[in-house]
Amino acid sequence: MGLRVKIEGSESINLPETSIMTVDFGADIPHDSNARSTDLGSTVLITGKILAAVDGEAADDTSKIARWSLVPAENSDCYRNVQIDVVNASQVVRQITVPNAFVIDYEEDFTDETGAGVFRLLIKQKKDKMVNLKFEGGFSGE
Amino acid sequence: MGFTLKVEGPSNIELGTISIIGVKFRTDIPHDSNARSTDMGSTVEITGKILTAVDGDPFDSTRQLGLWALVPAEKSDCYRKASIEVIAASQVVRKYTYPNAFVVDYKEQYGDTEGVGTFTLIIKQKKDKMAQVAVEGGYSI
Repeated sequence: MGLRVKIEGSESINLPETSIMTVDFGADIPHDSNARSTDLGSTVLITGKILAAVDGEAADDTSKIARWSLVPAENSDCYRNVQIDVVNASQVVRQITVPNAFVIDYEEDFTDETGAGVFRLLIKQKKDKMVNLKFEGGFSGE
Repeated sequence: MGFTLKVEGPSNIELGTISIIGVKFRTDIPHDSNARSTDMGSTVEITGKILTAVDGDPFDSTRQLGLWALVPAEKSDCYRKASIEVIAASQVVRKYTYPNAFVVDYKEQYGDTEGVGTFTLIIKQKKDKMAQVAVEGGYSI
C-alpha cells in the first residue's frame, strides 16, 4: 500500500509513499455509553521516516511537521487541513480529509543504528467541526 | 546517523558522534483536548555512552551532565542553552535549540559485562519560554 499525506496551512507539507510507513484512523467514542453518544472525536496516527537528502535533492518536509507541532494555540495556523490517501492497485482505497486538524502529540526518534529517523504524529479534528471530516474512498486514481 | 550535543553554561559540555546513541524529540500536548491546547511543552531524551579515556585523551564531558542534573533550582545555571544536531549523509537533518533547558531526568548505568557505561538525559524547555525553541534542518553541513 502506498500512503500519502498532504498538509495545507501557512505552508504546504507533502509526504509521499517513500516516507509514510503507517496510518491509524480512529473514531473516538466513549466506550461506557449506553446509547449513541454525542461525544464523538477522531484521531489519526501517522508514522513515517525522516530521510536525509542525498545527491543535492531538497530535504523532506518532516521538519515542517516538527515546527507545526510547536505552533501555539493562540495562532490560527495551529489548525491545518490534512489529507491522507491510501493507494493500492490504482485504486484510492481511502481518502481521509481532516480539515481542522491540530497536533496532540509529535515525536521524533533517531538512533545511531539506522540511517533514517522515525516520526510519530498524532492529530485530531477540532471537535466542534467533526461534520467537516471527509471519509472517502473506493474510486480509481493514478 | 550521527548526533552532537552542545550545552552552554558555566562549563561547556560537548558530546560528539562517538558518544551519543540516540535522540528522541517530543512535543507534549494533552491528549484529551478537544481543540488545540495552550498547555504545550517540549522534551528531548538523549542516550549515549560513557567512554573511558585512553592514551592520555581528555575525559568526555558526561560527568558534567551529571553535575548539571544536580544543580538546585535556586541557582540560575540549572537553565542552560542546549543544542542537538542530527547528521546523516553530510546533511543536518535536524537541529534542535533549547535556550532555557533544564534537566528532568538523568540516569547512568554500568555493568560488569560492558566496557562502557550508558547515560540517559531528559531535558525540557522552560514552559513559559516555549516560543524560543527552534527546530531547523534540511541543510548541508
